[in-house]
Amino acid sequence: MNDLLALILQAGTPLVYVTMAGVLAQRAGIWHLGLEGLMIAGACAAVLVASAADSLLAGMVAAMAVCVLGSALLWLVIEKLRANPIIAGLGLTGLGLGGTDLAVQAVFDSEATVRSEVGVPRLGAAFGPYAQLSLLVLAMPVVVFALWLLLRRTRFGLRLAACGEHPFAARSVGVDPQRMRLLALALGGVLCALGGTELALGSLQLFSVGMTAGRGFMAFAAVIFGAGHPVGAAFAALFFSVVEALGIKAQLMLGQALPHDLLLALPYAATVLGVWISGRLRGGAAATGFAELRDY
Amino acid sequence: MIARLLPVLRALAFVLLALLLCGAIFELAGYSSLLMFQSIAEGAFESPEAAMNSLRWALPLFVTAAGVVVSFRCGFFNVGAQGQFYIGAIGAAFAVEWLNGAPALLVVPLALLAGIAGGLIWAAWPGWLRVRSGTDEVITTLMANFIANLVLIYVTSGPLKDPSGTGQVTASRPVAALYRISDSGGVSPVILGLVLMTGVLLWLLVNRTAFGVLAGLAGRNPVMVAWQGAQTGRLGLAGFLVSGGFAGLAGAMELLGPNGRLVSGFLPAHGFTAILIALVAGLSIGGVAVVALFFGGLAAASLYLPVIAGLPAAAIDIINAAIALFITARAWPRGRWFLRRAT
Repeated sequence: MNDLLALILQAGTPLVYVTMAGVLAQRAGIWHLGLEGLMIAGACAAVLVASAADSLLAGMVAAMAVCVLGSALLWLVIEKLRANPIIAGLGLTGLGLGGTDLAVQAVFDSEATVRSEVGVPRLGAAFGPYAQLSLLVLAMPVVVFALWLLLRRTRFGLRLAACGEHPFAARSVGVDPQRMRLLALALGGVLCALGGTELALGSLQLFSVGMTAGRGFMAFAAVIFGAGHPVGAAFAALFFSVVEALGIKAQLMLGQALPHDLLLALPYAATVLGVWISGRLRGGAAATGFAELRDY
Repeated sequence: MIARLLPVLRALAFVLLALLLCGAIFELAGYSSLLMFQSIAEGAFESPEAAMNSLRWALPLFVTAAGVVVSFRCGFFNVGAQGQFYIGAIGAAFAVEWLNGAPALLVVPLALLAGIAGGLIWAAWPGWLRVRSGTDEVITTLMANFIANLVLIYVTSGPLKDPSGTGQVTASRPVAALYRISDSGGVSPVILGLVLMTGVLLWLLVNRTAFGVLAGLAGRNPVMVAWQGAQTGRLGLAGFLVSGGFAGLAGAMELLGPNGRLVSGFLPAHGFTAILIALVAGLSIGGVAVVALFFGGLAAASLYLPVIAGLPAAAIDIINAAIALFITARAWPRGRWFLRRAT
């Protein structure tokens, strides 16, 4: 049981960080489909810089710089050039996936995995089955709580929600929705960098091309499943990793009885299920609802 | 005339902007962007063989992209073309496997139909969930892509595995030469005929039928269309099915044509590129034909780059992604008059 819990936390923590970035964007009124690209860019920058400079701090700072820059680019395209957020987000994701591929090839000449000597500090042997978990796992609940505090209990959070739900109302009290969205996306970039760092340096200490494998999209689905609430979305993200961990467990216990590749599809199927349920809960069916949400 | 040309000019301007961003990224990674673009042009268009190769890649892209146009016109972001393409290819592969030995005149049409059926199924469930329960179709179709990719790996390493295959990528048994509709060059009368048929059918559907007109309106203003008594849900589902069916057809064409077998993870960028083509073409079928040639050239170059020029193929992914980033933009920062008038 304990090792299953450790597995879930290990798989779920990067997802939760990126989900929090999605929550921020969602509150500000942006459907953030660039999460996948930001996450992999963060993971790549963290590993490349951390192993080159031999310092975790340098790696994390580089990851944050890259992710905030990417977020700013997305903001520029969506808000200033008025592009469609979904297509632009997918473009940012493609840019992240292709850009990291190019960067790894430019530095290491062959398409391989990059290993890093430094990693995020672990909890250590005193924690028994949880010894392998990194400190970022421990920080995760704190970050979720802080975000809840920020979004639900501060002036900034309320204003951000206003920008997402009714930009006109926000503007009428002197809040600039575009500027608030830039802030939300930039803060989200920092969270994506943390998620990417945890994914690459938390347990594996390596980066391989395409290693996020759709986690960014799952994080976005968790935002929808959790109705844009930080705690709800965090639990949704953890639910997806529970499914993933159970799949791995089933694989270990049943061996070849079940086809391995189809078990790997479980988290994706759970994501569909989650979004379907949340659609049902909110009365769904309205053919127009989401189109309106997306359109500015 | 000017009013019709302006959207084209604007699309070109944003593609140029995207290429500038790509150039900056190449320089940052330590590659000469001039050399990169030069090599891409060489790989895409310079020699007759390169141009033929570009056509080979443009043909399946055209079929998928023309289908995508229909669902986007309905206002639904069916970004699942990749999965529908894979499931279509898998359906066709099973049809060929089961009918092995029957005359080609029977097998080939049935395999193409099986491909269409596969694409339809893979579009039907996200479409149905969207229309019935309001489940966001962007997520479901993206997840459907990941699942289809795993199904393809499962099929090529299980039921249809080629026992003689070695190495890391798994592949199915090759399709018998009898049932192939083209050699690996990918341009043959049958394929050209299928592509032409797709173009004519979809052009008529979009421009000359009540469905096409209603779908175009529903995409822009679903509330109005619903108030006029049309069933937007049914329209949207139909749009989903049409786009899925043609993506499946493209998959079957790839299998029976140039590929000749299922390979796990083949043409990984097909669906995304097709969506881009539909958007760059401004959701018009005629435009798709032109734009598909350009992206076909890029696809051809992505094979040419690593082999001959010694440059990473990821460059093409970056170009595609940068174009996606900018292509739906509707204005310049300050809204210059000549662009504002066009919208």
